[in-house]
Amino acid sequence: MKSDTQPGARLDAIDRILASDDPLVPSSGFVASVMERVRDEAAAPPPIPFPWKRALPGIVLVAGTIGWLIYEFIRIALAGTFSGALSGILTSPIAMPHIPAAAQQALIPALWTALALVLSLASWALSRRLTRRSSLL
Amino acid sequence: MIETPTAARNDTAGLDSTDVARVLAGDVGAFEGIVLRWQGPLVNMAWRYCRDRGRAEEMAQEAFLRAWRGLASWRSESSFSTWLFSIAANVYRSELKRFPTAVPLDEAAEPSAPAVQLSDSELRGQNEAVRRAVLALPLRYREPVILYYFHEMDVGRAAQTMGLPEGTVKARLARARDLLRKRFPHLNPQAAAGPILSTGKDFSR
Repeated sequence: MKSDTQPGARLDAIDRILASDDPLVPSSGFVASVMERVRDEAAAPPPIPFPWKRALPGIVLVAGTIGWLIYEFIRIALAGTFSGALSGILTSPIAMPHIPAAAQQALIPALWTALALVLSLASWALSRRLTRRSSLL
Repeated sequence: MIETPTAARNDTAGLDSTDVARVLAGDVGAFEGIVLRWQGPLVNMAWRYCRDRGRAEEMAQEAFLRAWRGLASWRSESSFSTWLFSIAANVYRSELKRFPTAVPLDEAAEPSAPAVQLSDSELRGQNEAVRRAVLALPLRYREPVILYYFHEMDVGRAAQTMGLPEGTVKARLARARDLLRKRFPHLNPQAAAGPILSTGKDFSR
């Protein structure tokens, strides 16, 4: 036994109690139960890798959109129109440069709705395509 | 009889290497040799973390599975036992974080009387109270205590298992022992001459 925490120090009662813990004998079925789980794992098919190739366009699209939103938000905030940031994004010259301001106000809800519909459709089409290719359906 | 971690380590290094090579070559059954050799130390280590037999076996089983999954990552130039104990300590630590067993230190069971003229059952109760008080320590102090005594009071091995510098482990160990001594003031060095029920190990040498 080593005692290198306090070289030369005598063992006190707490040391002696903690060092003399009763050993626990594993139950008789322990090895069998571990090996059963190991064999199950060995027999299981390897995990399906994440489809990075297929997911990459979507990830790029989402990252680009988020980046553009951040850029617009910062630009508008810096321009001193922080309180109207959201509407500013949609009515800014970059977003809709050739439409009059009055028409833009009317178009905003319609554009949001159209964007939501397109995203839903794209998501549905992509998931359908993926599941058909992997023969899950 | 349960082998001590040191004895198991010294006797089985060659066998472990052989079994690991066989497992990596596709012989799943060779892992049984590893489980047979290390079940005692791993279950006992888990027992010291939670003092619950059923849970100790579940945690040890999880540690073996983790070792099985990561067997290819073991580098034979390092000790298999050190690698295995590190995996086990990580598993046990995570388990205890998810489902803590600890009670506040001041709520840990109080021994009935100073260690003078105690009956066997009273001594056992007192020893168990001290061991349970370890579970009431904060995890950063509890684990060095558990591993230090599990590794037969070898700070270096405890530090390797935890992946911490020896100095850090020594400092935490000293703090933990202070907390325990405050909790059990009558178990001072002078009282150490009193009888301590043990399992036959002679810790006085």
